Amino acid sequence: MKINVTRTGLAMGLAAGISAAGGAAAAQDCTTKIGAVLPTSVDWGKPIAATAQYVVEQVNEAGGVAGCDIEMVLRDSQVDPKVGVDAAKALVDLDGVQVLLGAVSSGVSMPILTSVTAPAGVMQMSCCSSSTAFTGLAEEGKTKGLWFRTFATTGVQSAVAAMVARDKGYKSVAVLYKNDDWGQDIGKLVAADFSALGIEVTGSVALNDGQASYRAEVTEALKGKPEAVYLALYPKEGTAAVREWLSLGGTQNMIVANSLKSDEFRENVGLQYLGNMVGTDTASPRSASATKFVDQYTEHFGAAPNGPGLSNSYDATMIALLAMEAAGKDATGEAIAAMVSKVTDPDGTPVSADAEGFAAAKEILASGGNVFYQGATGNVRFDPNGDVSAPAVTWGFTEAGIEELQYISLDEVDAFMGTLN
Amino acid sequence: MIGVISYLVFFTTVAAILAIAVLGLNLQWGNTGLFNGGVVAFFGAGAYGTLILGGTPQDAHLGGYQLFYPLALLGGMMAAGLMAWVVGVLTLRLRHDYLAIATFGVAVAFENLLRNASGFAGGAQGLRGFQRPLLAWLGDGFTYNLLFLAFVLILLVLVYLFLQRLIRSPFGRLLRAIREDETAAKSLGKNPARIRLISFITGSVIMGLSGGLYGTFYAFISPQDVLPILTFQIWAMLIVGGAGNNRGAVAGAFLIWGAWTASGWALSRFAPLEMQLYTGSVQFVLIGFVIVGMLMWRPQGLFAERLVVSQTGRARQ
Repeated sequence: MKINVTRTGLAMGLAAGISAAGGAAAAQDCTTKIGAVLPTSVDWGKPIAATAQYVVEQVNEAGGVAGCDIEMVLRDSQVDPKVGVDAAKALVDLDGVQVLLGAVSSGVSMPILTSVTAPAGVMQMSCCSSSTAFTGLAEEGKTKGLWFRTFATTGVQSAVAAMVARDKGYKSVAVLYKNDDWGQDIGKLVAADFSALGIEVTGSVALNDGQASYRAEVTEALKGKPEAVYLALYPKEGTAAVREWLSLGGTQNMIVANSLKSDEFRENVGLQYLGNMVGTDTASPRSASATKFVDQYTEHFGAAPNGPGLSNSYDATMIALLAMEAAGKDATGEAIAAMVSKVTDPDGTPVSADAEGFAAAKEILASGGNVFYQGATGNVRFDPNGDVSAPAVTWGFTEAGIEELQYISLDEVDAFMGTLN
Repeated sequence: MIGVISYLVFFTTVAAILAIAVLGLNLQWGNTGLFNGGVVAFFGAGAYGTLILGGTPQDAHLGGYQLFYPLALLGGMMAAGLMAWVVGVLTLRLRHDYLAIATFGVAVAFENLLRNASGFAGGAQGLRGFQRPLLAWLGDGFTYNLLFLAFVLILLVLVYLFLQRLIRSPFGRLLRAIREDETAAKSLGKNPARIRLISFITGSVIMGLSGGLYGTFYAFISPQDVLPILTFQIWAMLIVGGAGNNRGAVAGAFLIWGAWTASGWALSRFAPLEMQLYTGSVQFVLIGFVIVGMLMWRPQGLFAERLVVSQTGRARQ
């Protein structure tokens, strides 16, 4: 799971936006259901679900999928695997959905995949699950090609972090990571990437949530006297850990993951200490469609898509619906999953991420052509394991907020990651 | 139609698995008065034990012994029993709320251990790669689910019958004697410490069985499955069903799990569109109401404990 900050007001705005646009959908005489299992009882889960709803509205505006309106049945996962799996099973069996969006936590997505969607032949598309375990499962053939995720694997961020350390000339780095599946993954990957570039990893320390003090962990990380520190933490623990790190004489040479890309972190630590900090993130591409996504999202919800997983949720829903369109009416989950490559084909006709884009894609698909979806997270391309790569950026903090330092294109990312293996 | 049956099979399987754990807790709390606040640790020990012993080999962590399934399940139960023995010897001298706090601590420690010991059981990513038994013949679809349900139900009935016999036996009477007044039991020459330990281990082994079945059913287990919320859910099932009554324990499991899932389903179907995003939170409120309402109006649970007079002498009246 890779989630960071929340904007309290955002969810309210989102709900208002939905109710306002609810009646606008063009009417078709039939309805196709898709399922969504998302943690709507958790504050950061609501905007992710609202974004998926928004895509469904746009698609219905553009005439629906294969002549039918889409109805998204949304269930709450409560971030409890049992509850999420039961909800998914109910959606598949009782509502007969062939496409399931979700979940967010890998610990929920995984049992849904192994016990519901894969056995039933339903396509599952997650916006936000980041665990490398899915890649392993796909390699064993157990996902049956039904699993996709629009969240770029943690490999991209860890590789870019290593690139930053190399460019800055750091010789030794300590790693502090959040103690969950995402943090353990990225901690392990980044340590391997540093080593591959000949940068010494002086220590790798896990931080549990909600501790009052991280003095012991920070002291442990300081032992090897690293030239720089890598942080894969969320703002709350990140703030606490960095304060102790600095007060114990740790270096200000910091490389941080996108989870710390928050004003909260900047304000609570203090800008004067963050001058040498470089952040990494996967990026939207410099394409018109990505900018357009931000614009139309802002217009619709009254707030910029700053929450975690929103553009991923947008793309997950849109690609699933495009694949449904390509597969035609009453297609099975397997048939729909097989069409994903047809709508994310780099040699296909580019379409934008909005209602017009969907309408254009319908025509292209109807005439037998392939589509290259230009998404909110980039030109999404899935590898055979259902994973995506993404362009990246590095960023830093300024008086005004967050400033981009460098854009690294998808090709550069792929090339650099190739050299690490 | 087939969809409804398929879902009901799935639902019943999960409810029956949870019912087994509730039965285990009923032995500990309902009959012996042991406040186990760490149900999830023994449930988790069973699940991890079963998947480690029965799973396929995985890179970078222990497990994948591909043991014959019933043996793996037994191994999981033994893991839970072993843990209960260690925990029991250390904590059972504690009374009531102290025991609850100590066992709760054990459960939290257990979850953290699994989250961190990635070389042992996959860490936060959890344990995958379990091959469902008889996969080649049954596949992993409806037939498998149906047969697995039958298997779970048989085990549920066996556990139920075993516990019914146990609590009707002189040993069961001894358990209740200890629950009501330990000093009195001691004055009759009984050894409460030993009996409490036996009850604690037996209950935990039953929870381990439940965990093993749970892990098998999902073919996956991760630290997210062994969070304290599960302890709470199982306790809620026992309180609502009726502590001290095995039938109540089973009914409570089906009822609470039914309410938990049905409320989510009903809200997704009937709540107005603008409410959809908030159904998750509404659901929590509803579940809270059910439990609080139950405690207020029927604190003994749906099925109150029936005190059995096991001496045949009562025929003379």
